[in-house]
Amino acid sequence: MSKHVPIGLIETPFHPRLEPLSRAKKWMNWAGYISAGVMDTLEFEYFAIRNQTTLFDISPMHKYRIKGKDALLVVNRLVTRDIGKIRDGRVSYVLWCDEDGNLIDDGTLFRYSAQDFRLCCQESMLTWLIDTAWGFEVTIKDESHNVAALSLQGPTSYSLLSDAGISVGDMKPFDWCEVEPGLWISRTGFTGDLGYELWTSNDQALALWDRLWGAGHHWGLRAIGFEALNICRIEAGFMAAGFDFQPVHHAVRLGRGRSPIALGASKMIDFKKGHFNGRRALLTEAQTGPSHHLRKIDIGGFKPADGALIYYKKKHEVGHVTSGVWSPTTKRNIALAEFKAPYGDTIKNDLWAEIYINKEGQWDKRLVRVEIENKPFFQNARSRATPPKPF
Amino acid sequence: MQAKENMMPPKTYDAIVIGAGHNGLAAAATLARKGHAVLVLEAQSSIGGMAKNVELMKGVFAPEIAHLLYNINPTVARELGLGTIFAPLDLISLATVSLSPSGDHVLIKDGTPQDMAGKSHPEAAKYTEIYQRLTKFAGLLGQMSTKTPPSLAGGIKDITDLAQAAGLTKIGLNLKLMGKKDMREFLRVLLSNIYDHLLDDLTDSPLSGALAADAVRGAYAGPRAPGTVFTLMYRLGNGAMVTLPKGGMGAVADAFGKAASNSGVTIRTDAKVAKVMVTDDRATGVQLGSGEVIMAKAVLSNLGPKSTMMLAGVEHYDVEATRRLRHHRAKGTTAKVNLVLSEVPEFTGLKGDLTHARLIIAPSATYVERAFNPVKYGELPQDPVIEAVIPTLSDASITTDGKHILSAILSFVPYNLKGGWSDAARQELREIAIKTLETYAPNIRALILEAQVLSPADIETLTGAPGGHWHHGEMGIDQVLTNRPANQLAHYRFGPAGYYLCGATAHPGGDVMGAAGRNAAMQVIKDGVLK
Repeated sequence: MSKHVPIGLIETPFHPRLEPLSRAKKWMNWAGYISAGVMDTLEFEYFAIRNQTTLFDISPMHKYRIKGKDALLVVNRLVTRDIGKIRDGRVSYVLWCDEDGNLIDDGTLFRYSAQDFRLCCQESMLTWLIDTAWGFEVTIKDESHNVAALSLQGPTSYSLLSDAGISVGDMKPFDWCEVEPGLWISRTGFTGDLGYELWTSNDQALALWDRLWGAGHHWGLRAIGFEALNICRIEAGFMAAGFDFQPVHHAVRLGRGRSPIALGASKMIDFKKGHFNGRRALLTEAQTGPSHHLRKIDIGGFKPADGALIYYKKKHEVGHVTSGVWSPTTKRNIALAEFKAPYGDTIKNDLWAEIYINKEGQWDKRLVRVEIENKPFFQNARSRATPPKPF
Repeated sequence: MQAKENMMPPKTYDAIVIGAGHNGLAAAATLARKGHAVLVLEAQSSIGGMAKNVELMKGVFAPEIAHLLYNINPTVARELGLGTIFAPLDLISLATVSLSPSGDHVLIKDGTPQDMAGKSHPEAAKYTEIYQRLTKFAGLLGQMSTKTPPSLAGGIKDITDLAQAAGLTKIGLNLKLMGKKDMREFLRVLLSNIYDHLLDDLTDSPLSGALAADAVRGAYAGPRAPGTVFTLMYRLGNGAMVTLPKGGMGAVADAFGKAASNSGVTIRTDAKVAKVMVTDDRATGVQLGSGEVIMAKAVLSNLGPKSTMMLAGVEHYDVEATRRLRHHRAKGTTAKVNLVLSEVPEFTGLKGDLTHARLIIAPSATYVERAFNPVKYGELPQDPVIEAVIPTLSDASITTDGKHILSAILSFVPYNLKGGWSDAARQELREIAIKTLETYAPNIRALILEAQVLSPADIETLTGAPGGHWHHGEMGIDQVLTNRPANQLAHYRFGPAGYYLCGATAHPGGDVMGAAGRNAAMQVIKDGVLK
């Protein structure tokens, strides 16, 4: 038996369970894996996230282990936040930049100890991490293909875990721990609601799925795809790589990169922690101001405005929608949008989105009012309650 | 006493310069002349770096590494008063002789080739045409040497500094002013190889061989490599006059040293810097190997870019910068053989005082290319390209008892020799040098009283130049101007505020010019870090 490099997309460890559950057969390519876009019906899946509980296979996520004496130095050199302030057994949402202060990617950093971290992200980051670690005593290991992961999200997720015999009652948001030998759980997610992410080895993957599925019926458990999740993350106001910013290592054209300041994440930068990648460029930008502003916006009407151009005084083009969606929960037409400075920052009035609507072959153009929104569209106290309520 | 010393606050200077090579001294003198307190720290026991004398026998001084002065920058010489009574430097102009094994050597004097009978060389007209064209093109590049190279970090539209924009505009304008024909020719040949460029018009002879050898001296490239027309132009652009300093290369070090001392610079030798201290992203001083701490508002390093980075600590550099500096091309290919001779050797067919000249062993451009081949495999060239000079013929002050020095630079000697550099390897190189010289001067072996051999690795040890590289880093088109030593690091500013690169590894690069040091000092002043 000879081993071959697989041709085409490959299956995640959960695929044997996902395949028979999929009615839509709407598969996507996520980092070379077969990943669900929609499992059954987008609306069912969306409302399951907001009202019940859902399982989404996040195994395709890139996962890197950063281990060794200088691991803390290396992650602090990488990201803009001060990871020295994060305790062991905590997860941190992190951003990292190139030398010009433009975002390479964002992700979650799991702290085992000051000598041991796991970084999860959208983009392939192995060579970048190896180069970041040059001159330091650490090893970088790509765990992308060795760790299976599930995202269990929704108001009844805590109850479901309890029924499955997994106790996470004292876990606060962004906590993470090994609940059983070989099973790690973090209270993290991409929905802005109560939820957990479960991490185990590939050979334990199907057993974990079956255990959750077995406990799930009572709590309305559904397997979901990316599309439903995408609506939720826009409601929560989370930006996504490739949509709301272009990971700068993939941007071919000059000037397509965006800094955390431009993306509204200035609070994620700690200039006092010492040098980190892009610090000098960001320091300059903090003084001169960014060239663009990514903002949450509310758009009149009910037609999703994805990709729409935005005008000032209905005349000057000043930006565009990067992620736009009708929010079923808030009953609002919401979006993330990028503005050329100073629009979206000091100039917030008289902004209009240009929306094209195809009415059975006849195109209609509308200019719809845009309002800047400061808070996430969807916020829910249950997402932070510890211990969570059973619902 | 020790306790008392410990209680004293650390000494403070406006600027500390690491390395007393000519560029470090030029930087120090430039700063001191503007009224700043400057300390130069040299790891070796004497100043001068590559421009030094070494006493091989009692009373006999050889140029230890560099042996000729090509490109001392006129601005630097004027500003530092080099060649004045305060920093004496007498330069003896030398002609070039390209040797031929048959004895039909070519004398190149004032840009014109002649044969040994004093008659014009058959290819003189074509040679002059090529030489003048390259010199003209070189002038375009040369005008950049006293300026900080333009930054292209944010693309052309982001050049907000008027002076920078003006510099670029001027080059563009001068390019246009040359006329359409010349401009096209400039752009055509800029990236091409010197081998084809020469042999388009010349036969493959000692004449073309000498130009080909000059194009690649110190480089990790043969004349057939792309970009070697550029390296020759770059050399011509920064002044192509060949001069021998009276008193040996040590006199150059002394002149720079005096210019510095006269301006009030303190120079300390045997003071190896172990660490550059950085606080709040600003260089604050240095720590010596002895543990002694000296504070300063600015630190300038005359070392290679990677060593300069490591002194401050890799954690102060962006990942992209470390990537570029780790891959900085600095594989030295130049070895030095110094011979003490009992009398002047006889070169077959070389008449009269032409033995004084700069002697090139590169009998054809093809010979130069062949000599380059072995270095790729870590092997020694069996028929090396040699630039030799007998300085004692022009300057009796550096010798006694009628002894002579033959100083030879051997091109294309590997830094990473297969099997490593050992005494046996140095012996082998010495033998290769002598055998090659014997072809042209059959009696030379019998005259040898003493020999010194320095491999590129030895030169690195002696000077700190990365890879023992003649120019502290390849002068390829990817590592000059806006990219010297690397993209985004070409403004002498080097990571933390107040930390600067001031050696040949910075723009405008190698040869004993002093421009890099002077430009770095000007940048320090412009940045206002000494206030």
